[in-house]
Amino acid sequence: MSHVSGGDMPGKPPLYCEREDWSDIVPIPQYDGVNPLAPIFYNPEYKDATDYFRGIVKTGELSPRVLELTEKIIRMNPAHYSAWQYRYRTLLAVKAPLDVELRLMDSLAIHFMKTYQVWHHRRLLLTLLTASPSTATTSKPLPDAFDIATSELEFIARVLEEDSKNYHTWSYREWILAHVDDARLWLGELPYVDDLLEADVRNNSAWHHRFFVVFSRGGKRSGASPVEEAEVLQREISFTKDKISLAPNNPSAWNYLRGLLDHTHTSWGKLVVFVLPYTQLQPTTHSSDEVVDLDNPKPPAEAELPCAAALDFLAEAYVREGGEGVQKAVTLWKSLANEHDTIRKKYWEYRIKEALASKLV
Amino acid sequence: MSTQATDSFGLSLKQLGKKGHSGHSVRCMQGLPSSQVEADTSRMAIGFYALGSLDILGTVNTSTTDVDRQSWIDWIWEQQSSGVYGTGFKGSPYMIGEQDVKPLQLAADYSEFDTPSLIMTYTALLNLAILRDDFTRLERPGLIKFIKACQREDGSFGALPSGGEADLRPLYCAFAISSMINDWSGVDIDKAIAYIRTCESYEGGYGQTPYGEALGGTTYCALASLALASKSPSVTEHISAQHRATTIRWLSSIQQTEGGFSGRTNKIADTCYCFWCGASLELLGAPDVANEAALASFLEKCQFQWGGICKAPETQPDPYHTYMGLATLSIYNITKGNAGVDPSWNLPSLHVSWNVTDETAEWIRKHLSSKAGQ
Ligand SMILES: [Zn+2]
Repeated sequence: MSHVSGGDMPGKPPLYCEREDWSDIVPIPQYDGVNPLAPIFYNPEYKDATDYFRGIVKTGELSPRVLELTEKIIRMNPAHYSAWQYRYRTLLAVKAPLDVELRLMDSLAIHFMKTYQVWHHRRLLLTLLTASPSTATTSKPLPDAFDIATSELEFIARVLEEDSKNYHTWSYREWILAHVDDARLWLGELPYVDDLLEADVRNNSAWHHRFFVVFSRGGKRSGASPVEEAEVLQREISFTKDKISLAPNNPSAWNYLRGLLDHTHTSWGKLVVFVLPYTQLQPTTHSSDEVVDLDNPKPPAEAELPCAAALDFLAEAYVREGGEGVQKAVTLWKSLANEHDTIRKKYWEYRIKEALASKLV
Repeated sequence: MSTQATDSFGLSLKQLGKKGHSGHSVRCMQGLPSSQVEADTSRMAIGFYALGSLDILGTVNTSTTDVDRQSWIDWIWEQQSSGVYGTGFKGSPYMIGEQDVKPLQLAADYSEFDTPSLIMTYTALLNLAILRDDFTRLERPGLIKFIKACQREDGSFGALPSGGEADLRPLYCAFAISSMINDWSGVDIDKAIAYIRTCESYEGGYGQTPYGEALGGTTYCALASLALASKSPSVTEHISAQHRATTIRWLSSIQQTEGGFSGRTNKIADTCYCFWCGASLELLGAPDVANEAALASFLEKCQFQWGGICKAPETQPDPYHTYMGLATLSIYNITKGNAGVDPSWNLPSLHVSWNVTDETAEWIRKHLSSKAGQ
């Protein structure tokens, strides 16, 4: 804690109602009605701080001590959005150095990473800090938006080390990228995702981020030539095949593959050669003189086969062919329903019903 | 995932712990420990989870007194407040001082730092309906102004008019409120639907914001909003056939071997996602795709010994997961055709896009929707 703790006082810091420097403020106890719904039995520190907060808001005071008070409340209840809003207003009014505020927020973000307000406040700060011409007050000369965003991305990476799938943290990372929208920042994202998937190939947030960077938001800004686009597509297909061969039963990788094929309007049929070995009961034995197909990595010897996601993929590729393909898909769905993915039996039966019904039309 | 037989979820379910769940909900309405202080600004929502649970369990009138219910109604109306952005409900009087009180009309003018919230307004209306209030105190023109003030340039809605989070959750609340009051003049529907579509994920489902990772909760918000804005009962007019198919597949794929749904790919099962995902399948017209036997046996294991439902087996119960578990069972009635299931698992049916029992939805139609224009 920066300026909140009780200094060299042992034990608990004094309450605001005990402090000489707050004696000019009239605390306002909360009204809660006669028989309130879901009342909270506040502890004395929270009650004390919010009594003084209501007092401050009533007088409209915007001063450095308001920063102390709102920090105190936020640390007890990070979802107290009025305290956040009033804090932000105060920061602007007293021209507080925003880089100092950002460093304070670093520790709060790690403590309260599941609370939305922590990240929202950070967005407001970054919006000011990256504004051009700069309107933000800071303690040191302000680096440019690229440098600020770079250090933000490093900070976010540290938070993701604590929880690599935190939804707010990822949203914030994606917001920074889109907000600053600098080609150099986008470029760094793929190596970062590679590292995360190296550590945990099942991290769906990392897979999603890859899609965000390569295709959805990042893809919108590239202005790449058709040749470059074809190269990117080829690179992503190869990348995903490699990851599938490492861990065949990983829905994140399969979803990524399906998503990128549809996003780029690529035929699923092109992947059948790769997928087939994953649909067999036994891994295909490699004879020593067989040419290893680097484009189509095979499942590892210890893989649990057949892989349900591969059967699902193959059936989808077949049914899209139409004609004979529908019957081949139905056979695969039956094997999923009755043998290889029985928890989803009803889903596979639904697919059979739908496919046969549309065939009749 | 592969070889677990369906029979291992043998449909033999002992009595549902209704009495305990009802007791848990009543206790939460009577008071929360200081450790729950993060709910300070959103007590209206906690009230909804508790009252909603009692509504499903059919114990609103037996587990609470007439005096309690009347005073809760008054407390909820006290949270309705008006100001520059119009009229809505706050989550609690956490910013109201004792000396500010004029009976039954607190803070007639809210400050910039204490505005009502769309999410709290949505849960307040549901609470009032469950308590069978007649809505004569509702400030309709102010409410429509408030909804309008919460919509952003990109079509999304913020929970608050004055800034803060803007994503699919408050958008859903704006749609639900508009359909309950049967007046959509506060919403630019086309813009909002365009926003929803930018949240479609490549996996199927919807992220919380444009291009976000597919998430069970916001998938429900998107689909329920589309359903409420549709003239027909299905969502198909606002979703492509392909995205519908991809979403059904994705939802089915995140039903985990333990039987519950997870909120995202490669995450673990959680009671609340049983509702968000199960309800989404219902909204897509494909509820039969869920393995309801596995779902119910997961929820059975999530019941806490002394009442309440937890997010996962062997964790602590809370009002949110208690409600979500019960609401799931209201959609998926597993007593039909399953002799081994105790009849206590037969719960009243749910109005899926408002997220309240059909009986309460009927009350809303009669006392709120039909009064549009008055
Ligand atoms: Zn949950």
